[in-house]
Amino acid sequence: MKKRILLDWGLRLAVFIVAVGLWEFFVSTSQNFLLPRFTDVASGLFRLLFFEARFWEALYISNQALILGFAISVVLGIPLGLLAGRFRWMDRVLNPYVGALLTMPVAPLIPIVIIALGLGIAARVFIVVLFAFVFITVNTRAGVRGVEASLIEMAKSFGASEGQIWRRIVIPGAMPAIFAGMRIGLGRAVTGMVMVELILVASGLGRLLLEFSGRMQSDLVFATVLAVIIEALALLAGMQALEKRITRWAPDISIG
Amino acid sequence: MIRVRGLSKEFGTRDNGGGVLALTDIDFEVHDNEFVTIIGPSGCGKTTLLRIIAGLIPYDHGEVAIDGRAITGPGPERAVVFQNFALMPWADVLANVTFGLEVRGTPPDECRDKARHLIKLVGLEGFEKRLPKELSGGMQQRVGLARALAVNPQILLMDEPFGALDEQTRRLLQEQLLRLWEGQRKTVVFVTHSMDEAVMLGDRVMLMTPRPGKVKEMIDVPLQRPRSPQVEKSGAFVEIKEYLWENLRAMQVGES
Repeated sequence: MKKRILLDWGLRLAVFIVAVGLWEFFVSTSQNFLLPRFTDVASGLFRLLFFEARFWEALYISNQALILGFAISVVLGIPLGLLAGRFRWMDRVLNPYVGALLTMPVAPLIPIVIIALGLGIAARVFIVVLFAFVFITVNTRAGVRGVEASLIEMAKSFGASEGQIWRRIVIPGAMPAIFAGMRIGLGRAVTGMVMVELILVASGLGRLLLEFSGRMQSDLVFATVLAVIIEALALLAGMQALEKRITRWAPDISIG
Repeated sequence: MIRVRGLSKEFGTRDNGGGVLALTDIDFEVHDNEFVTIIGPSGCGKTTLLRIIAGLIPYDHGEVAIDGRAITGPGPERAVVFQNFALMPWADVLANVTFGLEVRGTPPDECRDKARHLIKLVGLEGFEKRLPKELSGGMQQRVGLARALAVNPQILLMDEPFGALDEQTRRLLQEQLLRLWEGQRKTVVFVTHSMDEAVMLGDRVMLMTPRPGKVKEMIDVPLQRPRSPQVEKSGAFVEIKEYLWENLRAMQVGES
C-alpha cells in the first residue's frame, strides 16, 4: 500500500515535470513576451501568497460566494435528485427542466441575473448555484435509480415504513453517486465563481485577475489561476476523504 | 395455516387494457410447521404467488389468508429469503442480519444478541464484520437466511433461495436448511426450479402449470424425517422426481 502511494506520487511528479518542461520549452521558442515561464508563474504565486494582502482578501470574498453557493446547491440538489429518483411522476415533471439546466450556457445569463439581483453577493451566489446544483441533482437521481429494487422489496418484506426505506436503503445506496455529483458540482461552482466575477461583478479573485491582465502581468494572472486550482484540489481531496469513510463498501467510481 | 382460495392475478392491466393472466384459480393450503415446495416451468407464476403471500404485491381475486386473516401486506409472522440475497452492500454481516429486527423496533442490544446467535447458527461466526462483497454466494445466502430467521417468523417464504448458487454450494445449503428446520419447524413455502430440491426438502410438492399459472397437483413426499442425503437413492425419491419430470417435460414440450 505504502509502495503504491509512493509510486503514484512519483508518476504524478513525472507528469508535472514533463508538462512544465514542455511549457518552458514552448515559451523559450515563442516570440511572445507576454507568455510567462513556469518559473515566473511560480514566483508570482509566491509573491501573491506572501506579499500581496489583497490576494487573501480576494480569496476570502470569492470563497463566500463559492461556499454559500455550493452549500445551497447541495441542499437543493440532493433532495430534488432523491425525489426524482424515487418518484416517477416527479422525474417526468422535472425532466425537461433538468435537461435545460444541464445544457444551458450560464455565462450569457449573468447580466440578467445582475440586473435582477444587483451587484452584491446574492447575484454571485445565484450564479454559482446555477452552475453547480443541477449536476448534483442528476447524479443523485441516477444513484437512487441504481439502488437495487430487490433491496427496497426486502425492506418492505420486513414491514419497513417509507421513512425507514429512505434512511436505511435509498440514501445509503445512492451515497456514492451523490458524492460523485458533489465533486462535479464543486468543479462547476469554482468555474461559476470566477466567471461571474470576471464578466460583471468585479470583486474577489475575478477583479484581481482583471487588474493583473489590465497591467499585462501575465505571470500573476497565471499564478492566480494556479491558486484557484490548488484550492479546488484541496477541497476535492477533503471531499474524497469524507467519501471514503462513508462509502468504503462501494466500487470506486470516482472521477475527481 | 396459509389458505389460498380461487386466487387470480393479472399483470399490466393498467396500461394496455389486455393484461397477462399470471395466476388463475389457485387453491391450496399449507399447514402449520409444514414444508411445501413449489415447482413449475418458468412462467408458471410461482414467484408471483410467493410474493403475493409475502404481501409484496396485491392480487386481483380470491382469498389469501393466514390463520383466517386476509393478507393485505407484509406482516410480522412472515419473513422472506430472496433469490439474489438482497443484502445491503454497505452494511456488514451483523448489520444485515439485524435489519429486520431494527425495522420492527427491537432494542439494539437485543438485536445484536439475536443476530449473533443466528450468525452462529448458520455457521458464519467470525464473519460479523465482513461486507457482503467479501463473502461467497453461499455465505451471502446464509446471511439472508439468518436475517429472515432473526425476526423469528412463523412462516418462512423462500424464493428460489439457492437458485443462484453452484450445485455443490446448493447441496450444502439444502442440508443445512434441513437441519435448521428439523431443529425448529416453521411453516415453509419454498419456490424452486430444481426437482431434486423440491423432493429433498418438501413434505409436499406443489406442481404448477404455466400461462396462466395453475396448481396441477399436490404431491405427498412420504420420505421420513430427518432426511439425510442418502434419501436421494431411495425408490420413493426417484419415483417422485421422475413423476415430476414427466409432467414438467410434457408441459414444456407442448410449449416449444
